[in-house]
Amino acid sequence: MSRVEADIAGQPARRSSSGWHELWLKEDWWAIWLGLGIVLIGLVLFFYGASWRWVAVTPTKWTGFAQLGAHFADNWPRYLVQFALWAAAFSLALRAMGRRPREFLPAFAFVYVLSLVVFVIGQWERANFYGFEAPLVALIFGLGLANLVGLPRWLDAGFRVELYIKTAIVLLGATVPFTLIIWAGPVAIVQASIVSLVTFGVIYFVATRLGLDRRLAATLGVGGAVCGVSAAIAISGAVGGKKEDAPIAITLVLIWAIAMIFILPFVAHQLQLSAGVGGAWIGTSEFADAAGIAAAQTYAGLVSGTGAVSGTSDQAVLAFTLMKVVGRDVWIGIWAFALAIVATTRWETGLGRKANAAEIWWRFPKFVIGFFIASLLVTAMTADYALADFNKSVNPVLVAPIKDLRSWAFIFCFLSIGLTTRFRELAAAGRKPFLAFTSGVIVNVALGFLLSAVVFASYWTNLAP
Amino acid sequence: MSVPARAGKCRDCRHFRNDPEYLERAFKGLSALSSASASVRADDGLCLMHDIYLSAESSCADFAPLKQSCGEKAS
Repeated sequence: MSRVEADIAGQPARRSSSGWHELWLKEDWWAIWLGLGIVLIGLVLFFYGASWRWVAVTPTKWTGFAQLGAHFADNWPRYLVQFALWAAAFSLALRAMGRRPREFLPAFAFVYVLSLVVFVIGQWERANFYGFEAPLVALIFGLGLANLVGLPRWLDAGFRVELYIKTAIVLLGATVPFTLIIWAGPVAIVQASIVSLVTFGVIYFVATRLGLDRRLAATLGVGGAVCGVSAAIAISGAVGGKKEDAPIAITLVLIWAIAMIFILPFVAHQLQLSAGVGGAWIGTSEFADAAGIAAAQTYAGLVSGTGAVSGTSDQAVLAFTLMKVVGRDVWIGIWAFALAIVATTRWETGLGRKANAAEIWWRFPKFVIGFFIASLLVTAMTADYALADFNKSVNPVLVAPIKDLRSWAFIFCFLSIGLTTRFRELAAAGRKPFLAFTSGVIVNVALGFLLSAVVFASYWTNLAP
Repeated sequence: MSVPARAGKCRDCRHFRNDPEYLERAFKGLSALSSASASVRADDGLCLMHDIYLSAESSCADFAPLKQSCGEKAS
């Protein structure tokens, strides 16, 4: 039996998710359905005088175990209901995408229990003092379990990093005034465009000078310039990269993205960057949405926990999101289309196709649409409230519970990043790809700092959610 | 990889694999910061004949329709 036949024998059928199928076969759309579903139900409840509050339970701030015990004695049914709702929602999404809920449910129970432990640690009154920011605790916990202890493979079914983070980003949209997106979006796009073009140029130039194949150079370049692993697989597919190109890019992005989760927030804090500036820098210089949110949330925790820098924790997360999601992610389709033109007309890859402008839409990260709609919905439906009334009536009943549900989705994600990152399994990247990508990282971080902390500093500092 | 005038597309070729679970197994670490079910991937997949990762819209001279039995031209 040939290798091809052996492979085919044990594999599921190929899938087509183009056209309308995408609406139920792609994670981006499911993040929209789940996120907007939560927001719409929240709005209906709000106008009928009710709220997600009961379900959106989170561990209380605590100083001693007795206090913690009392909290769980009083609230355990709320946690059970919340777990059941999350499990049902994610199972529905994964079932539609061809995954198996029977495998997901026990694995998600494991993720939920660990997330609860992480949440509890993060709510300890002394957590900030010891640097126990929830994203870092989740990440270290996950990395430790995956790499030092080892976990059974069946648990992988519950580690859906992208589904969790995209759902959380749609929920984040509900807490951001749409007017702010309109006001801040253009600057984010200008800053992101400058950094993306320069970073891509540096990585591509160094990679080709080192003798790497142009397709690998392009895959590494856009991976560093736009949105990490997602960008790398999009570009590798668009230009017809070798089978080993994407794994090389995945290894490099993963290593640098995880390193930056630890480096950027603490350097920003040492430099006493305002919350908005720190968030924008992280949004410009992190490589993936999930890792970037972890870094931005860590900085948000440092901002609120230490009080050493100006601004609010919300400003850090908001600046990050505007910079990364609105400014950088939306360009991936254009990068893919442009590089597909180059690959099919100049690189003689023999792909047997012409670049198609529809690719810009096919590859568009659709969850961003959910972020905009969620923002627009809540902004429009609460437009009649004056600021004082909004803070008194809307915030605690509608916005705060959505924020709490978002916090859960973030922790599922941070934990899953660690639990799925098995360093021993990653492909060897090689010295030349490492040098090329790292040169882009250095330029990206320096240029991101210059633009965030100097050129557009006043703009990001004054970003007000 | 030359392309004859009437070659079918990769999405209909037996050498092409783009199932999300398959790709997540093939590309270790992919699901740590992304996903094979993400919109950005579109319908891209692996060609097992040429060991390249490419768009489902591509085509080549080695196209083999899905209906072909395993005993026929496999490589």
